Amino acid sequence: MRRAVVLSLAILAVAGGCKKKELTPNLNLENKVAVRPVTLFFEGPEMLLVRETRNVALPENPAGALSVVARELLKGSSNAGVPRIFPRDTVIRSAFLLPDGTAFIDLGGNTLSQGWGTGSHEELMAVYSVVQTVTTNFPEAKRVRILVNDEPAETLAGHVNLSRALLPSAAYVAH
Amino acid sequence: MTRSLSVIAIALASAVLLLAQAPTPAPPNPASQATLRAPSGDKAITIAHQNNQTYFAADEVIAGLGGSVTHDGNGFKASLNNTVAAFGTDSRFGVVKDDLIEMPIPPVTIDNRPFVPWQFFQGFLIRSSNLDATWDPATRILQIHPAQTAAVGVTVSVANVQGISKVVLTLTAPADYTIVKEPGAYTVRFKNPIRAPYVEQTHEDAYVAKTSFIGQDLRIQLTAPDVVGDAYRLENPFRIVLDLRKGAAVAPGTPQPLNSTRPIEAPGIHTIVIDPGHGGKEVGAIGPGGLMEKDATLALCRKLAVALEAKLKTRVVLTRNDDTVVPLDQRTAIANQYHADLFLSVHMNAAIVKGAHGAETYFLSLDASDKLAEKAAEVENASKNSAAPAASSDLKLMLWDLAQQEYLNESSRLAQAVQEEMNRITGVQSRGVKQAPFKVLVGATMPAALVEVAFITNPDEEGKIKSDAFQKTVVDALTTAVERYKVDYETRIGVAQPAPAAPTTTAPAPAAPTTTTTTKPATRTGT
Repeated sequence: MRRAVVLSLAILAVAGGCKKKELTPNLNLENKVAVRPVTLFFEGPEMLLVRETRNVALPENPAGALSVVARELLKGSSNAGVPRIFPRDTVIRSAFLLPDGTAFIDLGGNTLSQGWGTGSHEELMAVYSVVQTVTTNFPEAKRVRILVNDEPAETLAGHVNLSRALLPSAAYVAH
Repeated sequence: MTRSLSVIAIALASAVLLLAQAPTPAPPNPASQATLRAPSGDKAITIAHQNNQTYFAADEVIAGLGGSVTHDGNGFKASLNNTVAAFGTDSRFGVVKDDLIEMPIPPVTIDNRPFVPWQFFQGFLIRSSNLDATWDPATRILQIHPAQTAAVGVTVSVANVQGISKVVLTLTAPADYTIVKEPGAYTVRFKNPIRAPYVEQTHEDAYVAKTSFIGQDLRIQLTAPDVVGDAYRLENPFRIVLDLRKGAAVAPGTPQPLNSTRPIEAPGIHTIVIDPGHGGKEVGAIGPGGLMEKDATLALCRKLAVALEAKLKTRVVLTRNDDTVVPLDQRTAIANQYHADLFLSVHMNAAIVKGAHGAETYFLSLDASDKLAEKAAEVENASKNSAAPAASSDLKLMLWDLAQQEYLNESSRLAQAVQEEMNRITGVQSRGVKQAPFKVLVGATMPAALVEVAFITNPDEEGKIKSDAFQKTVVDALTTAVERYKVDYETRIGVAQPAPAAPTTTAPAPAAPTTTTTTKPATRTGT
């Protein structure tokens, strides 16, 4: 059964670990942006994920940075020869992090919404490009749960089980 | 850490304000009184009504149980026994631990106070206090009681799979029941109280007209008097399944043993389930020449089934034998239903990297489930250390996820045999045995593997996949692999035969039940 998840609920769960005083932020400080290197994972010629480091302007707070990094991943590699993993119309709807270390990445886009027709290898590369990117850049993120259109998804394309959060796996990364 | 979390919360809370575009429902009519009947005694609570729905003042109920509800500007947090549930007015789902609380309707606020459907308390209390809640609108009593005496929750799904209407009753805990055949209906009669999800529901189904709950009965009204069915149950989670079909004849496209006889239930490999990947609108990968994965896998698997039956004299079942959608968990459920000794899912691969070629064989990875296994153990231990029921619904769900883990060693051997035989095929380069968290392998209670025969996205391999000669080569390789595994397995368990022999005993096909009492299903022993 598909069950809707509204992001604010997870936000509330995050807020559960906060002191009341800190809920009235100095937005200028919290929205401070700095250019920092991020590590993104794309599929390399050996059909494994390879790292690509890129300088990106990131909010200093991880909550804001998480979605920025995820969106940077979907832009694809800066090397034009590296093909795009996700369907071109895929978008990051939102991203958030729970106090227990579970990062949620909510994907959207026409192709994923209507059923992505691809094989298990490509689906594995897509899913783990997200998992590796998130857990590499945000040490507090221990595992990643992928949603589609704000809801739990069984798979992206009929193979990789997304009904639970996924741990990073070196098996999909070139060394 | 607190600092960083607060920063996350602030940023996300800002985002939510931007995202919150749903119209705010009109506030309900406030205020009438009801009774909270808790173990500590009765308390008056406030309820409200809107659109024939009843809402309960969450702060009063939770306070009545010794907890509290706070409002942090974005939504609400209910705290009880060191467990926090978060909920808001824009969703009918709450979050507790890493799970969801499902409500039929979203909560509302009245004067900034949260009012929730009573099902919120059900979901929260079972996770925080091993309590359950029941609302009786006639007496206006919200009863809080220990979960172990709670009624078993039932959900119903009806789906037509390959010409069979499957009525699946998923229960929150095992239950005793009897199935009674009546003219034009089946009645599932539970021996203990159940929690019905609805009173009556109609279905747009070939054989199921409507389902209705009356007391402890679920009546399944059929569309015709000659609809008959088989009933069985599945574990982890506990489910009662009725396969309904027309008359005595088997519906076209039904996954049926190709062998008309049924081997005896003895140690060894007697039943093999072959799963052609994808199907129906789930086309899978598409080759540059337009070949669809769903068609390629079905054509190959039909031939594989014939070859396996002929060579190994085993019963072979296809999870689909036509171009239809079969849900992933249904595929393994079919294998479990047939008490299969081996499950092989057949796919065609896809890659964006040009020139990708070769076969890959997978079995289920453990790493994606480590936390789950730990959590299942924790829940199980907690249950043992308390008066809680031995198998909570959470644990049941986890155990379903863990079902394949008992067979991983055998699955690895099977995958290795498959990959080695695929390696022998000329022109197909090995990409090795791998592990991955594939959904279709999760619930299988037998050795299970998934083979990616070739890359359909590679024009050369797409051309091969279309050819009868290549298909025969692959069928031969997979048949040999299964035979190798069968001989190896049966040798290790001491029942190896010098050569595969035809079954010597047959069992009658299951008949439509007139009255069926629950029995413990046959289970495989892990190896």
